[in-house]
Amino acid sequence: MKLLSSIKKELILASRGFYFYVELLFALVILAVLLFAIPQNFSHITTEYLYFNLPQQGKEIFINNILEDDPDAKSEMAEIEAGGKTFDAELIVTDESKIYIVDSEETVRILADSEKNLGAVIELNENNQLYYKYYLQGYESTRFKNLISILFNESTEVLEDRINNQEVRPLSTAYEPLTDRENTIPPLIAFSGGLMGMFIMASYIFLDKKEGVIEAYAVTPSSVWKYLMSKIFVILLTSAVSGLVIIMPVMGLRINYGLLLMLLLATGFFASTLGLLIASFYDNIMKAFGVIYLLFFILMVPCIAYFIPGWDPVWVKIIPTYPMLQGFKEIILSNGDIVYPLIASTGFLAAGIVLFFITNIRFKKTLSV
Amino acid sequence: MMLKRIWIIFTRDLKVNTREFMAIYMMIIPLLLAVGINFLSPGVNDTSVNLALIKNENPGQAAYFDDFAHVELFSDEQRVEDRVSRRDDVIGVLPENNGYYIMTQGNEPGSVIEYAKLLNVLYESDVRLEDARSEIIEFGRTVPPLKKMLVNMLLLLISMLAGMLIAMNIVEEKIDNTVSAINVTPISRRAFILGKSLTGMFVALFSSIAVLLITGFYTVNLGQAALVVFSSTILSLLIGFIQGLNSDDVMEAAGSVKLMFLPMAGSIAGYEFVTGNWRIFFYWSPFYWAYSANDMILSKSGSWPELILYIGIILAICGAVYALLAPRIVKGLQH
Repeated sequence: MKLLSSIKKELILASRGFYFYVELLFALVILAVLLFAIPQNFSHITTEYLYFNLPQQGKEIFINNILEDDPDAKSEMAEIEAGGKTFDAELIVTDESKIYIVDSEETVRILADSEKNLGAVIELNENNQLYYKYYLQGYESTRFKNLISILFNESTEVLEDRINNQEVRPLSTAYEPLTDRENTIPPLIAFSGGLMGMFIMASYIFLDKKEGVIEAYAVTPSSVWKYLMSKIFVILLTSAVSGLVIIMPVMGLRINYGLLLMLLLATGFFASTLGLLIASFYDNIMKAFGVIYLLFFILMVPCIAYFIPGWDPVWVKIIPTYPMLQGFKEIILSNGDIVYPLIASTGFLAAGIVLFFITNIRFKKTLSV
Repeated sequence: MMLKRIWIIFTRDLKVNTREFMAIYMMIIPLLLAVGINFLSPGVNDTSVNLALIKNENPGQAAYFDDFAHVELFSDEQRVEDRVSRRDDVIGVLPENNGYYIMTQGNEPGSVIEYAKLLNVLYESDVRLEDARSEIIEFGRTVPPLKKMLVNMLLLLISMLAGMLIAMNIVEEKIDNTVSAINVTPISRRAFILGKSLTGMFVALFSSIAVLLITGFYTVNLGQAALVVFSSTILSLLIGFIQGLNSDDVMEAAGSVKLMFLPMAGSIAGYEFVTGNWRIFFYWSPFYWAYSANDMILSKSGSWPELILYIGIILAICGAVYALLAPRIVKGLQH
């Protein structure tokens, strides 16, 4: 009963404060960005500069091959401005790349250098075999350099034919990939909703300390954990509402909202209790914020792994944001795994309870100070 | 006289801040993040496809793939399948009927599967590295784009943190009633603003130069970088100051900081992911220009006139914001 009354009181106070509305506004802005600024799928078009140091016939064979590979490819004359000079080129735009065919190796070199794109010269060696000279920036990985070194040792047609005949056996065919827009949702809700709770909880506590609310609490019959829980509840409500504001218009009724709410609340609870625990060690908000900021940056590292599929070192997986992001991803995936978000929610809830327990003990000792 | 008073406020502020954890922290945290970028960057840049193979089934194949991809070896097919089934993108290459097939989980990006197929075909076609008919000419750029992007983001973050430092300082001053006390001293409000800003500026400049040196950008034009940091910090300080004056408590200041992150994140995303005419929608944001200017400096591709134009735009936007919000600053100082 006292808990309910504390929660009610906190909600009334929050509704009069600035923070609650900032959160809602923030969620609406993120939603607008998602709907209007982020395309369904990002364009991954690369730019290349090529010079065919070959007889005209050989050059035409290459150009025709490029055009045949992509029926939608278009060829036109273009001008490229770089380093204060203008270069004429034949531009072929395919689904994957913009290929500028220029008339000298020097032009390839200048363009690849100034525009920081890949350049290549195709010519014949002394044995009358095709020979490729690549212009790279220097930061490309050795593995990438190895690959392009041998990529054209075998004829493209032969390779393509073999690749098409290569058997691929998926362990499951039920997966439907997310669009790039949908794929950006998990990091947005994890950071905007759940993890911001760390900052807000710390702010709440120091604000109450400063205003003397804490001392006043010490002489009431209500216990410390109820006071802390009522604060956490406001954060949970805010992060759940802002999470739903972001997700609902994008995902519609395609996802399991029960699971989503469970993970939103569990991660919010975990982040809030973490914020509380950190706040309990400091007597001033600046110091607490300092530690929370540092933690926040560490928690951001799994975002890199999230967006770069091939980079997934083991140490990243033990950072709590990793299961957070993967859990949200599973929820918005059609035919996503139900068990993973459930396990993740249970884990965050359990970790939150442990942190809350420790925090409660710490605050019992320090709140009245 | 005026300069002397500003200097007094600055030195007093600096002294107070060095006793406080936050200013020291704000100087140290970007340096730690810079070390973190150095640590992360090589691994991320070396990203390729991750392949899972059966140990000792075909050591030659494993060695071949290792030149092009990350290879993990497992004792049997079941363990390869278990590995492929895990959450990250690992592709299995397994033997069958004198050949190999590709095992996927089913949710990998198409490009990852295509890469694995290509490698397997190259191996089966006996295409060897030593037979390469190619040469690679490099321009000697050693900093990968991701590292450049992270360092640029860090530079913007430093100016944000500097702004926050000022905001928090002002809130504390308001609570201690020293802002009201300014009104009865010979120090003018403008001098107070400038004096308060110098600490943040000092923190921002120190941290930015240190970050550039730590992350290996010591050959960039540090003077140009300092100019960009200076100009973008002016905006952060302006916002920080306004926040500080208009926030009655730390909760409000904390909420405002979150709002400040939005134009910064949006500008970075706009610069990195938006192409062509759509970029015009980000021209209002000084963070966009600061990020563009930093990118130019980090890439060593810009000229002084271009840089001065960018800085001019940043300062013009700052001037407009100041003109718009000057009454609120004056009002805030009166209370």
